[in-house]
Amino acid sequence: MPAEAVKRFEAPVVSNVEIIPDHKVVTFVCPEIAQVARPGHFVNILVSDGYDPFLRKPFSIYRADPATGEVAVLYSIVGRITTRMARLRPGDTLDLVGPLGGSLFDADPRQGALHIMVGGGYGVPPLVLFSNRLRVADPTARLAFLIGARRDDLLLCEAELLEAGFDARVSTEDGSRGLRGRVTHLLEPLLAEAKDDPVAVYCCGPTSMMEAVAKLAARYGAACQVSIEVGMPCGLGVCMGCVIDLADGRRVRSCLDGPVFAAGEIAW
Amino acid sequence: MNTAVKIGKLTLRNPVMTASGTFGFGNEMAATVDLERLGAVVVKSTSREPRVGNPTVRIVETASGILNAIGLQNGGIDNFVEEKLPFLRQYDVPVIVNLVGYSVDDYVYLAQRLTDAGVDGLEINISCPNVKHGCDFSVDPALTGELIAAVRKATDLTLITKLSPNVTDIVPIARAATDAGSDALSLINTLVGTAIDVRARRFRLANITGGLSGPAIKPVALRLVWQVHRALPAIPLIGMGGIMSGLDAVEFMLAGATGVAVGTATFVNPTAVTDVVDEIEAFLAEEGMADINELIGGVLPPQSH
Repeated sequence: MPAEAVKRFEAPVVSNVEIIPDHKVVTFVCPEIAQVARPGHFVNILVSDGYDPFLRKPFSIYRADPATGEVAVLYSIVGRITTRMARLRPGDTLDLVGPLGGSLFDADPRQGALHIMVGGGYGVPPLVLFSNRLRVADPTARLAFLIGARRDDLLLCEAELLEAGFDARVSTEDGSRGLRGRVTHLLEPLLAEAKDDPVAVYCCGPTSMMEAVAKLAARYGAACQVSIEVGMPCGLGVCMGCVIDLADGRRVRSCLDGPVFAAGEIAW
Repeated sequence: MNTAVKIGKLTLRNPVMTASGTFGFGNEMAATVDLERLGAVVVKSTSREPRVGNPTVRIVETASGILNAIGLQNGGIDNFVEEKLPFLRQYDVPVIVNLVGYSVDDYVYLAQRLTDAGVDGLEINISCPNVKHGCDFSVDPALTGELIAAVRKATDLTLITKLSPNVTDIVPIARAATDAGSDALSLINTLVGTAIDVRARRFRLANITGGLSGPAIKPVALRLVWQVHRALPAIPLIGMGGIMSGLDAVEFMLAGATGVAVGTATFVNPTAVTDVVDEIEAFLAEEGMADINELIGGVLPPQSH
C-alpha cells in the first residue's frame, strides 16, 4: 500500500503552557493536519540549531480541531528537543512533519461495546483525542479511561477528563493518588464485570505496561489495540529503525505499519 | 538550462537520486515526493532471499549525523519483482536497484532477474558495513574485479559499483571495478563507527557498530569523490554522504561527481531530494550557467596568498 502524503510545516505557535511540572502542551496552527488527524497519528518535530539535534522526535496528536485549524501535542521536558520546545512562545514557528502513522486506532464497531482506554505516561494524550472523537461519533458510547503513573505528579489529563465528564480512574505505583498499584489492577475488575459484553481495550504507554494490559485483555477475551512507542528516526517508513517483531514472524515498521496494532499480532 | 547528465547508458533528467536504503522502495514516499522530478530512484538493497535484518536499536543519533545498523532488511528479489517494481513502473523515472549477496553467484542471479524484470540500472552493493562479510568484496581489488566481471557478463544494464570508504586506499578498488566493466561508481557508503551510553556503560547499537551518515561525513565523502575523479576522470561518479542542500550537491559535482544522491536528509526533511533539485537549478540560474555538466570536476585550486 502506498503511504499517504506527508508534508513539512512551519506552523505558528498559538500557546505553549505548562500543565503539570515539566509537562507542557504546545498548540500550533496547521489546518492541513487538523483536517485529517485521527487518534494514533503523530508528528515529527525538530527544534534545532543547524544540525544539533539532528533527527526529529515523534509526538502523538493530543488535540486537533478542524474548525480552528489548531493542533496540539503534549510533551514532557526530558531531552534536547523538548527542552527547546519548552522555550517556544506564541508567534514562534514549529518545524514539524506530518501527519504520520499508517495504522491508527479504530473504534470497535460492536453494538453496546464497552470501550476502555488505558494510558500510561505520555501514552495518555492520543487516547484523550480518541475518547473525545468516540464520544462525538456516539454520545451513548460506554467509555472508561484508566490512567497509570508512577506518582501523582506524573499523572496526565485526569482533571481534564473528569471535567469533560469521562469516567476516569487513576492508579499510582506509590499510592500517592488513586489506587495504589498498576493500571492492570484497575483494568481487571472492569473486564471481569463486563465479561458478557463486547469489550475493547485501547492502550498506549510503556511497552511493559502494554504487554501486561494485552495479556490481561486476552485472558478475558477482550479486543485490544496498542499504540507502539519506540524511537522513530524518520517516521516515514523508510529508515527501518523502528521495527518490531510480530507473532507471525514478520518484522514491521512501527511508524508506517503501525503505530497501532492489534495486541495479538505482536510478539511480546 | 540543461540539467541532464549521462551515467553509463542512462541519461537522467537531472543528477539527483535517492540514496539506497533511505527512500524505501518508492511506495512509501510517492505521495510525498514527486518521483518524476528525480534523476532516478535508487531503491533499498535487495537480496536473493528475504532478510529480517538486525535487532533493535538500529539507529542512533550522533553529532550532525546518525549511526545505522539495519542489516539489509528487505523482502527479497521475488517480492521486489512482483510487488515493488510494478508500483514504481507507474512513474516516469529510471529505477536503479541496489543489490546485495553473499557470493558471486547471488549477485549474478540477482542481476539476471533484474535485467529480465526490466529495471534501468544496477547498483552493486559491495560495501554494507552492517552484516557479516558485507564488506569482504569492497576491501579487496581482486575480489571486486572478479565480482564485477561476473555481473558484467550477466547484464547489459548500466552497472554502478558502490564503494566503501572503510579502506586504506579507495583508488585501486575503484579501478578494479571499472576495469571489470562497472560503468560508474557510487561513493561513499557509510563510515563504520560506534557510540556508547556512558551511564549504562553499554554500546548503544544492538549490532555494536554501525554506518555513520549525514552531514558529519560530507568532508570525507567529498575528498574521496575528488580523489577517485582525479584517478579515473572518464568514469561517472555518483557522490553521496551528508548532502542536505543543493549547495552540498554542487560541491560534490565540482569535486568530480556526475550524479548525486540524497540519503539521510530525507529522514529529517521528507522532500529533501526534490528540494535539492530546486536548489541546484536556482544555483545554476544565479551563476548564469547553461549546462549542469560544466560543474563536473570544475573545482579550482585554492587561492594563493
